[in-house]
Amino acid sequence: MSLSILVNTSACVGAGQCALVAGEVFEQDDDGIVVLLEESPGGSQESSVRRAASLCPARAIELRG
Amino acid sequence: MKDIAPSDPRGAANECPALHGRALPTDGTQLRLSPTLAAWRDEAAATPLQYADGHVGWIVTRNELAKEILLDPRFTRETTRLPMPGDPHADIDADAQESIRVGGPLDNDGDVHARLRRAIAPRFSLKAARSYRAKIAEIVQAQIGSIAKHVGPVDLTSAYAAPISAQVHCLVMGVPDRLSAAYSPIFVGESTLQRKFDFAREALALKQQEPGDDVLSDLVRSDLSPHEQEGLALVVLSAGRDSVAHLISTSVVALLLHREQWDWLGANPDRMPAAVEEFVRVGSLFVTLFSRTAKEDLTIGSLEVQTGQSVSVAVAAANRDERQFDNPEQFDVTRDAFGHLGFGHGIHACVGQQVARTVIAEAVWALMERWPGLRLVDAEQLRPLPFAHPVATHATGQVLVEWEQ
Repeated sequence: MSLSILVNTSACVGAGQCALVAGEVFEQDDDGIVVLLEESPGGSQESSVRRAASLCPARAIELRG
Repeated sequence: MKDIAPSDPRGAANECPALHGRALPTDGTQLRLSPTLAAWRDEAAATPLQYADGHVGWIVTRNELAKEILLDPRFTRETTRLPMPGDPHADIDADAQESIRVGGPLDNDGDVHARLRRAIAPRFSLKAARSYRAKIAEIVQAQIGSIAKHVGPVDLTSAYAAPISAQVHCLVMGVPDRLSAAYSPIFVGESTLQRKFDFAREALALKQQEPGDDVLSDLVRSDLSPHEQEGLALVVLSAGRDSVAHLISTSVVALLLHREQWDWLGANPDRMPAAVEEFVRVGSLFVTLFSRTAKEDLTIGSLEVQTGQSVSVAVAAANRDERQFDNPEQFDVTRDAFGHLGFGHGIHACVGQQVARTVIAEAVWALMERWPGLRLVDAEQLRPLPFAHPVATHATGQVLVEWEQ
């Protein structure tokens, strides 16, 4: 099963950690809030996505799978 | 091993822990963790701590519990707003008092916090930080030119780190040109809170007339009330500037004490972003973060906290927790240092951290490029310095460096 990602935009505090460590999967909109670029990224992205989820200071990234 | 330290090191079994807090130790330096805090961390994840108001709360020294606490909404920041009563610099007018109450993102939780934070977050995104890079590099190069004129040792803190940090702060916040000369004397030098408020009001009034693409202009364009705008303006003008200056100075000290890493980084500039994480891990200004207060009786991990008790996260200890980092006492720019709490964690995590990373990288790199043979003459921070009040932060001190003329 591939990794699927849910982002909680109301919890996001715009710190930018996800965009910093997994820029191909996450970016920030003009308000600084997380935007998910890829809901089910390939295996090569898995470690950076897990890292983004663990570094998110607001625990706004949820991973399934 | 117990998770919670006995409040009395002699271990009186029936004593109430709340009666015996320990004092925050002052035997650490910036680059060497207090041996006392290290011992507390070995003993337990949290230790009873005596707070200034007389009550006994906790200090958390392990990384994992620290993160859990910073993420937990059962703790509030609202009960310990700054300025603390009795602060001699805190004699401010009634509007300013109201602005502090309603406009401080660090001193509010929940929806109030979210509304304030979202008013300033756009100018601190990763994209925004990258957009400032060229201007930050210009500021840094101008400062390199300025210290290059010195003969003999230069204090990197006052002649390089502090001016760079202040100018970048003015750039991002959008301090109007006619006020920029007054910024450093008021926000870097000795000043009063009232003078800072007067400055913030004048800056906001000027931005009302001539808005630009910056934080202060965003505030005047926002739907925040005048008190919220003013309180938030004060916070953004004050916060983060000294931490960035501290990190520039302290990173250089750490690198020059590990010459091989200075040389290696100079030859591998693409590794600077990872190195910056290590700078922040070992060089964060904070011995402890601003304390949190329990809103209810709660259990977190194996720590039991009573309503009203304060809990402080000891960043300096959590950033050197062997449960999180291998060989944590070793400064190593090649390590994976993510997971540190140098920018905090939870909803109050540093909003300016991506800009801070950019400034620190540019400022350290410019020194390496210009003076690969830079030498450390002396740094006050190698010896214990008094904490800054009222939160336990390391003083930066003089950092004297020299180079071949």
